[in-house]
Amino acid sequence: MSSKTSKPVMRSAAWRISLWATLAFACGTMLAFVFLQSFVANDIQRRSDAWLSGEVEVLGDVAERTPKDALYDRVVGEVAELAGKEVPNKLPSESNSNDSVFFLQTGLDGSLKLWVGTGNGAADLKAIQATSVVSDRPVDVRVSGFGVPFRVASTKIGDGTRIYLGLSERDELRVLRSLRLRFFVLWLLLVLLGFLIVFFTTRRMLSHVRGITEAASRIGSTDLNTRVPTTMRNDEVAQLALTLNHMLDRIENSMHQLHTITDSLAHDLRSPLTAIRGKLETSLSTARDGEQAEPIVCAIEELDRLTDFLNKSLDVAEAKADALRLSPSEIDMDELLRAMIDLYEPSMSDKTLRVSLTSGGPLKIVADAALIHRMIANLFDNELKHLPAGCRVSIRLEPKNGAASLVLEDNGPGFEDEIRPHLFERRVKGRESNGHGLGLAFVEAVVRAHGGTVSASNRQGGGAQIAISLPLAPREGAHFPVAVMSGSK
Amino acid sequence: MRLLLVEDEVDIQSFLRCSLEEAGYQVEAAADGKTAERLAADGVYDVLIVDLGLPDQDGITLILRLRQMGVRAPVLILSARRSVDDRVRGLEQGGDDYLTKPFALAELLARLRNLIRRNSPQPSEATRLRVQDLELDLLRREALRSGQDLQLTPQEFVLLEYLCRNAGRVVTRSMILDQVWGMRIQPDTNVVDVHIYRLRGKVDGKGQQPLIRTLRGVGYVLKDK
Repeated sequence: MSSKTSKPVMRSAAWRISLWATLAFACGTMLAFVFLQSFVANDIQRRSDAWLSGEVEVLGDVAERTPKDALYDRVVGEVAELAGKEVPNKLPSESNSNDSVFFLQTGLDGSLKLWVGTGNGAADLKAIQATSVVSDRPVDVRVSGFGVPFRVASTKIGDGTRIYLGLSERDELRVLRSLRLRFFVLWLLLVLLGFLIVFFTTRRMLSHVRGITEAASRIGSTDLNTRVPTTMRNDEVAQLALTLNHMLDRIENSMHQLHTITDSLAHDLRSPLTAIRGKLETSLSTARDGEQAEPIVCAIEELDRLTDFLNKSLDVAEAKADALRLSPSEIDMDELLRAMIDLYEPSMSDKTLRVSLTSGGPLKIVADAALIHRMIANLFDNELKHLPAGCRVSIRLEPKNGAASLVLEDNGPGFEDEIRPHLFERRVKGRESNGHGLGLAFVEAVVRAHGGTVSASNRQGGGAQIAISLPLAPREGAHFPVAVMSGSK
Repeated sequence: MRLLLVEDEVDIQSFLRCSLEEAGYQVEAAADGKTAERLAADGVYDVLIVDLGLPDQDGITLILRLRQMGVRAPVLILSARRSVDDRVRGLEQGGDDYLTKPFALAELLARLRNLIRRNSPQPSEATRLRVQDLELDLLRREALRSGQDLQLTPQEFVLLEYLCRNAGRVVTRSMILDQVWGMRIQPDTNVVDVHIYRLRGKVDGKGQQPLIRTLRGVGYVLKDK
């Protein structure tokens, strides 16, 4: 993982995937816990209800059998107190007083007859009467002054009085609360752990994908030797890499095929051209003076034009197929334009053409020097050949949106309307032109091969405008993505 | 100067042999790698010309084998290929030179001279150049003809200096573009001729013997006698 392309973590796919996965995991476990907790809560209640029902029956039995004498209150009270010590789910409390259980007996008129518990029982009685506890099935009773409700069971004994046994749900709730608390802590840890596991696994997996993307973009159109990294695992990512590499194999193969064709074409034409040129030069040296020399000189010049045409059309053909071979180096466009103007200025002023350069100083691009030189020379040749006398050519060089923007303007006749839409096509030239119609096609080919753009138009006030934009050289220390494969001359 | 020419195309070999012999080289020619190796083992050469497309082996393989055999002479590589092999680039950095077909004879000869000069001890750099009554002060960047300052622009001075350094030898337009302007281009227009014309206007004044001669179809020469 290189640091230059890493985005903020929050915007990565790994982050999103882990968020969603964690959310699903958290909801799932939470649902499972709610279900589990209600099951436990029901079970606890069932146990305390069973105890209550059993105890209230025993107490009812005791109350019924105990003679109604002076000792009655004490006997029943003690039995009730004893029962209160065997409360289920009881947690050790700090105070000796047992406030989690009460025993209450009402008289025939409903008044409080016997009370065992904390306080005087008035509030409890009121609450019981308000809820009208009648059966021996325990029900919830909220007693004022207590935070948690009581579970109360009652039974009617033989003399027509009722006894009530109440058990505070405090301990039960405390058990459940501690269960919830433990679960919550555990749940948080699990969710966090799950998130981290998912995040790091996805990130690792996606880093392979990113590695592939980075490598693939580096490979681009010039450096087809390298392949995207593959892993030993046979998962989707590995298959993606394999598929990409297969595709690159095929592209490299057809690119290689194209190069072989253009190379052998160049070779097959150049060898005889060399022999012809050599022979012409030899015969020129023996027939240097007189009219004999003239046709030989013409033939040599034609031959050089033919060679230039051959080179240019092969370059254009390769560039159209995105297969132009580049050997990049750093070029200062400002310096190059000044040298080019220096070279062309005498020819231009002979034709009373004026040329001016507006530039803000050195502007470096990384490009194939030979191709860029030929491209700029082409533009100047065009102006020199097509402009009528007395015209003005102004050249503007400036950095614009991370690219070197080069604009050539003249106040000549501009491009003819019928060829304007096809300016960058091969064999397209103006009626007056005696060139081979490769000039602008070659310019476009070179600009395209360097990842730039070119446009040609007629200016409003008359005259032609050609605007070229070439990517600027990366700053010092930055990595240049286009690797050197092989250059063309 | 003994020269070994390795070129399989008969036509090219024969005209190169003629021209090179005319230029004063003792030429031995080979049409394939095997013969070249045998010749190189037997004789000592000052410079080699090797074509990359040989019938029996790759030109670069041949050069590397010759180097292993102890051949130290510089090599001028000829190629009709479009792309410059990385290995050729490597050889170029090792002091050898490279020329694409088709080429002008003058350029081939100039490159050969450069290769040989680079391999021999350098004479101390002169500060003045003199060709007949033309005199160039390389430090003050002044050119004088018969004692008269020619009032050259810096660019004209560089052009004249290049012609003087090659006085008596033909230089082509593409050599001038390469050496004076640092560009490997083939302009469709006569930009170099115009520069030469202007320079000639200053150097060859009225009543003076013309020094800069045009060889049509070939290039220019500054006469040294």
